[in-house]
Amino acid sequence: MSRAIYWISLVLSMLFLALPLLLVLPLAFNESSFLTYPMEGFTLDWFKIAFTQPPWMPAFLNSLKVAFGAAVVAVVIGGLAAMGTMLSGRFGQIILSGLFISPIVIPSVVLGVAFTYAFGRAGFGGGYISLVLAHAILGAPLVFLSVMTSLKGLDPELERAAASMGASRAYRFRTVTLPLAAPGFMTGALFAFVTSFDEVVVALFLAAPQSTTLPIALFSGLRDRLEPTIIAVALMLSLLSLMFLLVLNWLQQRSRYKTRGK
Amino acid sequence: MRNANGNRLATVMLLVMPLMIYLLFYLYPLLTVASQSVDNSTLYEQFQTLSEVVEEGSPDERAAALVADLVAADRRDLAEAARNLNQERSGFRSLLINSGKKAEEIPPTMEGLIAFDKRWGQQVYWDILARNIAPITWRHFQKASGFKPDGDGGFVQAEGDDIYLRIMVRTIVIATQVTLLTLLVGYPLAYAAANGKPRLATIVFMVVLLSFWTSILVRTSAWVVLLQTHGLLNNLLISLRIISEPLQLIFNRFGTVVAMTHVLLPFAILPIFNVMRTIPVSQSDASRSLGAGGVETFLRVYFPQTLRGVAVGGGTVFILALGFYITPALTGGPSDQMLSYYIADFVKKSLNWGMASVLSVMLFGCVVLILGLGSGAWLLFKSRKGGH
Repeated sequence: MSRAIYWISLVLSMLFLALPLLLVLPLAFNESSFLTYPMEGFTLDWFKIAFTQPPWMPAFLNSLKVAFGAAVVAVVIGGLAAMGTMLSGRFGQIILSGLFISPIVIPSVVLGVAFTYAFGRAGFGGGYISLVLAHAILGAPLVFLSVMTSLKGLDPELERAAASMGASRAYRFRTVTLPLAAPGFMTGALFAFVTSFDEVVVALFLAAPQSTTLPIALFSGLRDRLEPTIIAVALMLSLLSLMFLLVLNWLQQRSRYKTRGK
Repeated sequence: MRNANGNRLATVMLLVMPLMIYLLFYLYPLLTVASQSVDNSTLYEQFQTLSEVVEEGSPDERAAALVADLVAADRRDLAEAARNLNQERSGFRSLLINSGKKAEEIPPTMEGLIAFDKRWGQQVYWDILARNIAPITWRHFQKASGFKPDGDGGFVQAEGDDIYLRIMVRTIVIATQVTLLTLLVGYPLAYAAANGKPRLATIVFMVVLLSFWTSILVRTSAWVVLLQTHGLLNNLLISLRIISEPLQLIFNRFGTVVAMTHVLLPFAILPIFNVMRTIPVSQSDASRSLGAGGVETFLRVYFPQTLRGVAVGGGTVFILALGFYITPALTGGPSDQMLSYYIADFVKKSLNWGMASVLSVMLFGCVVLILGLGSGAWLLFKSRKGGH
């Protein structure tokens, strides 16, 4: 009996999780502009439209630019914050960690309102700078967490060994700790990049028409009219996510290999 | 000793920049939201002369101060102030703007004001002014909660004024529904990923991770295609002759809850999975060998140990669901929009920062409350465990 309950619930849950995308994404190749089965023939036209007609390509490039900038800033803030927090005392660690992680739990609409008002008054206006800064704040906690994890996982013996051979603190940090924690930085950068690349709510508040990002284009497309082009874009985005996941997997394996030695 | 000092200096050096950036571009913006929710500087600056005499001055002093403020007023600021005051009593806008236009011709006495417009003779307008020209206002909070002072120190709620409280309740109800559903659907998946045969476990885990990494918009758009009137699900049901007319599956509560559940599912699964992974299989084996059946073993030995993961997963989903905007906007109807929608609406449509800030503070308060309850429960749990 218990096995039956387990299998039925597992199959149903699995279908619920996987089926929507598996069913819908192939419609990007459907010749008909109606998003339904049976498919009327195979075509790549919707992809061609996505690549040639506005708003998709410019929005994609904007998204890349913003996500790249946000990831760089997030790695600098989050990485420095993690290293500084690691070196502070027990009490300081709790307070600083709480502060640096906190943007994660604040609803993005609240952050959107806050950024729009404060950046507007400071005169940044809508556009790249405010978008990059806002997304960097959203990404910094992820960099912080992943760098903290990899710094905590390091074997303290390694640093002690370097110290015993006369390496100064700064030299040890630069030549032993940092290279070992590098996968943590890379993972964090990836998280920050993807967070910015997929972010809609804050972007809806801050983006000016010329800095429209891909998620905003998708959102307004979905609100306006559901076309197969949107599904084609969604399919490409899903493939991009798959790629990110593979890179992440590779990074994590590398970091495991490094910290365990050999 | 030298080492400790070096340590401290390095720590400070490393932390200066991140702390500065957080302060300027994160904490400061959040604080402005908090202050905007009670800010009344537009009205306060407008009626600065009046605010000094409005409580204790004689009628003529008040009239003179009001006329002086009106003469000095900028047209646009006055229109803004009039709009705010009109929310307290309709007709105030025209009264203020008309008086403002002719302010230079009005003699600065109470008689002169009443001669210009009789309404200035009614005490109620002066009371409204007195209430609304302080540097801080609770006007937005009163509007959001629907409770207004009744003049005797108590509060009354007028019929139909509870719209934002009802939206708040709706937000919490939807978040609760979504949380329960994600736990129900997520638990078997976490179980399979943690305890299934290696191949099955890997496949389930990969699907969960892939779903986690796929953009919320992509997953929401899949649900739109599935659920719309001539979407995949309706067409399937019609071709199977289960129904003859398409069902309304989207732009209502059903569509909102189903799509949100799907989008938030990985956030429930991953914490449960992490806890399940640490529970040794030998425990269940021991329970079985002592004669307990499969269901009993699960309910009495396994399930209680996973509750920590269920709490973390459920809490995460609940907090994220409270602030949801995109998915309800694309799959819900007008009566399924959550607090976030109205916050965005106040900013985009009317630039009403006061109301947007008050609703933001309310939403943020909910999140902090849940986090507080969660960490409280966690501390209690830990101290109990230590006491054994």
